Amino acid sequence: MLSNYIKIAWKVLLRHPFYTFITLFGISLTLTVLMVITSFLDHLFGTHYPEVNRDRSLYIGTVLQQDSAHTSMSSGPAAFGFLVKHAKSLKSAERVTILSNFSFSNTYIHGKKIKLNTKFTDADFWYVTGFQFLEGKPYNEANIKNGDQVAVITDALRDQYFEKGASVVGKNIEIENVIYRVIGVVKGSPPTRVYTYSDVYFPYTAPKSNYQDKGMRGRYIAIVLAKKASDIPEIQAEFDNHIGSISKEEIRDGQQFTVLIVRADRYFDHFLNTFARDDTQKALFYSIIGLVLLMVMGLPAINLVNVNVSRILERASEIGVRKAFGAPSKALLWQFIIENVFITFIGGMFALALSLLVISMINASGWIAYADLTINFSVFLISIGVCLLFGLLSGVLPAFRMSRLKIAEALKV
Amino acid sequence: MLRHLFKLIWNKKGTHSLLIVEIWASFMVLFGVLSLIVYNVSNYVQPIGFQYEQVWNLDLAHNQDTIQEAEKIQRVLQRVRSYKEVESASRMSGNTPFSANQSSGGITYNKVEVHGDFYASDAELSKVLDLPLISGRWYRDEDMIAKFVPIVINSKMQEKLFLNETALNKVIKMDDNRYFKVVGVVDRFKAKGEFMSDEPLVFEMIGKDNKWNSNILIKTRPGTDAEFEAKMVKDIATMLPGWGIEVSYLKDSRLTRHNITLVPVMIFLIVSGFLLTNVALGLFGILNLNIARRKGEIGLRRAMGATEGKVTNQFLGEIWVLATFSMILGLIFAVQFPLMNVFDLASSVYVMAIILAIVIIYLIVTLCAWFPSKQAARIHPAVALHEE
Repeated sequence: MLSNYIKIAWKVLLRHPFYTFITLFGISLTLTVLMVITSFLDHLFGTHYPEVNRDRSLYIGTVLQQDSAHTSMSSGPAAFGFLVKHAKSLKSAERVTILSNFSFSNTYIHGKKIKLNTKFTDADFWYVTGFQFLEGKPYNEANIKNGDQVAVITDALRDQYFEKGASVVGKNIEIENVIYRVIGVVKGSPPTRVYTYSDVYFPYTAPKSNYQDKGMRGRYIAIVLAKKASDIPEIQAEFDNHIGSISKEEIRDGQQFTVLIVRADRYFDHFLNTFARDDTQKALFYSIIGLVLLMVMGLPAINLVNVNVSRILERASEIGVRKAFGAPSKALLWQFIIENVFITFIGGMFALALSLLVISMINASGWIAYADLTINFSVFLISIGVCLLFGLLSGVLPAFRMSRLKIAEALKV
Repeated sequence: MLRHLFKLIWNKKGTHSLLIVEIWASFMVLFGVLSLIVYNVSNYVQPIGFQYEQVWNLDLAHNQDTIQEAEKIQRVLQRVRSYKEVESASRMSGNTPFSANQSSGGITYNKVEVHGDFYASDAELSKVLDLPLISGRWYRDEDMIAKFVPIVINSKMQEKLFLNETALNKVIKMDDNRYFKVVGVVDRFKAKGEFMSDEPLVFEMIGKDNKWNSNILIKTRPGTDAEFEAKMVKDIATMLPGWGIEVSYLKDSRLTRHNITLVPVMIFLIVSGFLLTNVALGLFGILNLNIARRKGEIGLRRAMGATEGKVTNQFLGEIWVLATFSMILGLIFAVQFPLMNVFDLASSVYVMAIILAIVIIYLIVTLCAWFPSKQAARIHPAVALHEE
C-alpha cells in the first residue's frame, strides 16, 4: 500500500514540473535555512574544539556590582585574586582554570605588522581545554612559579611570524619588546570560542598580565570543570555559597555597592545572562526567537498549503473513482498525508545537499577563521523532525478537504 | 466596481482566507526587515563628520606601574609629536572612534536634562580628526582655569540642551568643584561609524595631570608604514617598561564596526528575500490555477463585449483588493510600533518602512497576477464557452 501511495506521489510530481518546482523550492530552501542556522548555533554553543568539555563546564565570566537604589551599576570580568579565592577553591569540581579575557597586541617582523590576541592562563587551562599540540608542550606549574617568559602559540601565528610549517619550539618571539621562548604550538581555534580563542598564550606570571590587581573587578574569568554533567547543580550551589559568604565590607569594593551578582553558568546561560539580565528580558528574547522561527517556517508552510489546496481539483477524478469503489475518507486522508511527507522528504534531501554546500562555503570562505561548522547527528535529527512537522503541517488541511469531496461532484469535473 | 470586486472576494472567503494570511505575514516580515534597513540607511547618509584615514590609535595600559603615570603619558605624547612622520597627536579617553567602549552621562542646564556621550581629549583633537567647528573654536590649554573645564558640544546637544539658543560661553554646573564652559560647537561626530545615529555629545578637556585617559590618537603623514610603527612602539616600550602598548588603525576598526551592523542586516535580508521569493512563486501558482478555472466567466464577459484589458483589470483589481485587505490587517499591528515607541526609533523610520512594504507587496501581487490574467483574457470566447 505504502509503495503504491509513493508511486502515485511520484507520478503526480512529474505531471506538472512547474508546481513541483514551487513545492520543492519552498521546502528545500526553508529546510536549508533552518539547517544552516541550527548548525551555526551548534557551532556557537555546542561542545567543540578546543572546549571539548563544554558540556560539563561552568563559566564564571562577569561580576556585577550594583548599589541598592539600582542607579549605578558596573559589570565586567573578575580580578585574578577574587577567582582564586572563590572559584579555584571549589571542592566539588574536578579542575578549575583561570584565564584572562581577550586582549590585543601587535608584533612586528621584517617591516610587517601582525595583530595578536593574547591570553594569560594558569596551567590547569591546558587540562580543562583540549588543545591539540602540534609540537612542544604546555607550560606547567614550575614555569608559572619561576615566572618563565614562555609562550604557546597557534599554528597560524607560527606561519606568519616564523616559517610555514617550521619547527619553532625553543625559538624566541618578541612581543611589545618582551622576548618569550616558544614552548609549544597548538592548532588554532575559531574566534567564536570567545573565551579560549587567542593567538598566543602566556603563563599568568608573565609581564603585563595584571594578575596582581586588587578588588573584585579585573581581567580574568574562570572555567569550572565538573567530573560529570550531573555534578553541575552541586557545584553551582557550592559557588553560590562562596559568593553568599562575602562580607558587606568587601562587596562595597571601595564604592557604594551593596549588591553583588556572580554566577557560575553553563555556556549558553552565561551567554544569555550577559545581555538579558532578568526574566522579562529572557522571555522577550525567547518570544522574538519564536516569532522569527514561526515566520521562517510558517510562511512557506502557508504557501504550500495554499498551493496544495488550489490543486485539489486536479486530483478530483481520482478521488471520485476511489470513493465510488468504497475507499473510506480515512484511507484517502492517509494517502495524501503520506504523499506530502514523501514530497517533504525529497525536499529534505535537496536541503541536506544544499546545506552541506552552504556550510562548506562558509567554512572555506575564511569568514570565520578555523570555522568547523558541520551537520552533526543532532542537527540532522532536528532537521528530520522539522521535515515531518512541515509535511504534516502543509498536508493535513488539503488532505482533509480532498477526502471530504462528494463523489458526484468529484466525478463531474 | 470596487463593491463588485469585494463581493466576488467575499463569496470565496474560505479559499481567500489563506491567501490573506499569507500576504499579511509577508507584509509583517517586510515591515520588520525594512524598518531595520531604513533605520541604518538613514543613519548612513549622514556624514560622520571627521577624518580617520591616516589616524592611528595608540592604547597605553599602565598595568602594575602606579608612579607618575600622567607625566609618563605626557612624555610619550611629546615623543610621538617629535617624529617627522607624525602630523599631529592628541590624548583621548578610551572611547576612541570606532572602539567598543562607551562613556555616557547626564548634563543639566536650566532644568533641561540631556543624556549624551562624553569624550575627553586635549587641545589637539580637532586637528587630528579634522573636526570642523560651526561656531566658536576648539578649546586651548589656557581655557583651563580653576574650576572651569572648557567643553565643545555638537549641534544635536545644542539643540536639545539649549533649545536652539546659541550655546557659546554658557556655563553648566556639574558639581560644586566643576563647571563646564562651552567654547565651541561641532556639527557631527559619529564616533561609532556611519551606522550610528547622530546623538548629543560633549568633548571635555583633559589637563596634563590626568592619568586616566591614556589613549593617543596619531595622525600620520601619507605613506607612513608598519616600519615606522615598529620603531615607534620600540621607542615607547623603552620609555615605559611594563606598560601595555597597542597600535590600531582607525580605518580597520571602522570596518569591524561596520560588520557588526552589516552582518545581521545581510542575514535578515537573505532570509526574507528567500521567504518573499517563495511567496511570490506560490502566489503565481495559485493565481494561475484559480484564474484558469474561471474560463467560463471570462468567456461570458468577453462575449458580452468586455475587452482583454478590462478582463485583465478585473483580476488585477481582485488581487489588489485582497492585498489591501491583508495590509489593513497588517497595519493594525505595524502602527503599534511608532505609537508605542518600541525600540526607541523615530516614528519616521516606521512610517517609511510601512510605505515601502506596501509598495513592495503591491508590486509582488501585481507581477504575480499580471501574467495569468493576461493569458486568461486572451482566450477566445467561443473556446471558453465551448468547454462549459
